[in-house]
Parts: sequence; C-alpha cells; structure tokens
Amino acid sequence: MSVLRRPARLTNDRLRKLADEELMELVAGNDPDAFEVILERHADAAFSLAYRMCATRSLAEDVTQEAFLALWRGGARYDRARGSVRTWALGIVHNRAVDALRRCNVHERRRAGDEGIEDSLEAPERTDAQAIGNAAASEIRGALDELPDEQKQVIELAYFGGFTHIEIASMLDLPLGTIKGRMRLGLHKLRGQLHGWEAVGT
Amino acid sequence: MSSRLPEPDCAEHIDAAPYVLGALEDADSYREHLLTCASCREEVAALSLVVEALPTSVAPAKAPATLHQRILTTVRSEAEVLRAAGPHADEAPRAAGRWRARRLSFPAVGLAIAASAAVAAVIAITTSGSSSGVRVTAAHLSASLPGARASLRQVAGHAELVVSGMRQPPPGKIYEVWLKRAGGAPQPTDALFGVTSQGSGTASVGQSLHGVREVLVTSEPRGGSLHPTSQPVIVVTLAA
Repeated sequence: MSVLRRPARLTNDRLRKLADEELMELVAGNDPDAFEVILERHADAAFSLAYRMCATRSLAEDVTQEAFLALWRGGARYDRARGSVRTWALGIVHNRAVDALRRCNVHERRRAGDEGIEDSLEAPERTDAQAIGNAAASEIRGALDELPDEQKQVIELAYFGGFTHIEIASMLDLPLGTIKGRMRLGLHKLRGQLHGWEAVGT
Repeated sequence: MSSRLPEPDCAEHIDAAPYVLGALEDADSYREHLLTCASCREEVAALSLVVEALPTSVAPAKAPATLHQRILTTVRSEAEVLRAAGPHADEAPRAAGRWRARRLSFPAVGLAIAASAAVAAVIAITTSGSSSGVRVTAAHLSASLPGARASLRQVAGHAELVVSGMRQPPPGKIYEVWLKRAGGAPQPTDALFGVTSQGSGTASVGQSLHGVREVLVTSEPRGGSLHPTSQPVIVVTLAA
C-alpha cells in the first residue's frame, strides 16, 4: 500500500475542507473521493473552456472526460510549484481540445476559432454562481475586446481554434512574421491590462 | 497603449507568443532554444501568465451531471483495479534482458521493432463488486521513447490506450492507432491522438478488437494514414 494513501478514510465533508494541492496528493495515492472533490470544483470551468473551443456539446463532453481521466491517471505528476490545480487542469483541457480540433475538419475549426461563437451555438446551461470570479472573467473579456480586431483574431484562432501560426497565415493570406507579430503585440497589450490579475483570479 | 514594443535582445523573441499560445509549428526547436536563452525564457514566462488567464474569459457553462457520473464511474472502477493489483500494476513490465527482433509485415516499411523484447504481461483483473471486467495490458515501447509507458484498458468491449511520459509526435505529425490481426496488415483506426506537454495521452479505440493480435501506434501526418508510414513506437500484444 502506498504511503500516500490516507490512513483512515476522511469523510467527503472533511475532504471538501482541503486545498486542491492537498487533495492532489491523495489523488496521486489512488483516492477516488479526493478526485471527486477536485472534479466538483473544476468541472464547470473545464467544460466551459472545452465547449468554447469545440463548439459542440458532445465533443466538449468527450474532451472534458478525457482531461479529467488524464488528471486522475497522471495525478502523481501535478507539481504545485508550477501553478494552481485549476491552471494545470485547464491546461490539460486545452491540450485535449486542441488535439480534438486538429482531428476535425478545417471548417468546423474555423467556426470554433472565430469570435462570437456563443450566439450560434445550442445554448448551454449557464451557471450563475461560478467558481470563476465573475469580476475576473469580465475583466479579461473586456481586455480581449479592447484589442485591435486583427490581434484578437489571431489570438483566438490560435488559442481557442487550435490553429498553428502557419495555418493562420494561410487562412488570412498574410506573412508568417505578421501573424507572430500580431500575437506578440496582442499578448503584451493584454499583459499590460491584466496587470495584477493573478491576485483576482485565484 | 502604444503598439510599439521595445526591441528584443534576441531575434527569436518573436516565437514566444505563438509558442505560449500552443500555435508555434516548430515548437521543439524553440524549446531547445529556450534552454540557452534567458531573455526568451523571461518572455515566455511573462506571456504564459496572460495565456493562463484566457480560459477565464469564456462564457460559463455547467458541466452536465451525466458527464460527472461517467467520469466518476470510470475513476472508481480504476481505483478498485489499482487497489486490487497493488502499487505497481499500472507500470509497463520491464523488457527482458535479451532482445529478440521480430518482423512485422508492414507494406510500406517492413521494419523490425527493436524493442519488442518480451511477451507483454497481461494483468487480467475483474473488478470486485461489479460484473464489468477491466483488462489492462501493458505495452512495449520503442527504445526511442525512454521513460514512456503505455497500457491498453479494455472494459466491456471498449478499448482505450493510455500513454504517459511520451514525447510529442514530430512536427506536423500525430499518433495513430492500428489493429493487426493474425497474418494481416495493420488496419487503420480513427484513433488519432497527441500528448500533453507532460507526455500523457489517451486514445479511444472504437473498432472491435475481436481477433486482434497487436495494437500498434505509429506517428503519421495529421489526419492519419491508411497504411503505416513509420515504424511503430508502441506495440500491445493481446493474448489470443
């Protein structure tokens, strides 16, 4: 029996009092109850990101499921020095969604990468009180909306659409350097506007 | 805010933004560059914080309760399997000392797999307290993937290949799963997968494994191939 197993079973209520980082140590020791608490805390944010990227409910569900199973199976590899569990989990979701998108045809992906996608989708059930602070969310949305369209577009196509810079260049019929430059300007501008965001978001 | 940025110290700074967005096509060579360029490392660290904030900008949606249930059911059954099998059940068996190259009938390459050393151990376990048998078969990995692990999990007619510690497929490539029956050429599946930056990945194999002797993984151009175009990096040998 692994040393990381909790000696006596904690009740789910007591598990819910633990920080994500402590729960991940239990998850690494094969504790499904600790995993359940992690799932409760982050599933909505994970699904929201997957849904934004995949644009269909079923693909978003598959991606979210794959990501959480990877998180469960690779729980031992979470390294708290490299960021919060939320950031780590969303990073896994993002990677999975990019993989899924890269298996899709370009047309579907273009839809997902373009802005304003929410309007054209089947309406998902919205949550009113999210773990994501609404203030932080609207601050980041606002900062994105303030970017010049050309910068916002390449960032969204890359991050949410899963396109490579070469694909984006050929899609927009622009030189590779222009695409990279717009990404750089856009991210630096966001960085200036979100200064101090980390304190709000976590 | 001005649209001018200070002139970077390093010409490769321009790759930092596409890199942190996951959009740089030749990410491997930039990753190499980062090892020796402090200025680019700093740029990547600063821009990563911005990219980490991007998921927060999406419209919130509620994960369906059925999704919760599906995930938890799988996790609980795997936890039982691992508990029953002991702490090392999850690991691929070590290759036996002697190497025995074996020829695969590949139409395009016909290359031997250097690392197919021993017969894969099959850990066959029936989860206690449930009637669903979970079968976990460890895989052989090519010597070109040191530290990688892979196993095939079969539950109720559904198979899933789970990998960890894998390197990224070569630029422009994706991993593809193939099924090989006795005497036949490897048949393509629609299971194409990549791996996370931590090297883990999962591929769901929709096709029936009836009569399949080997499950193979090769790297193929994105979109997949109809015939393998490279040597397999993973081989799972199934008991007849």
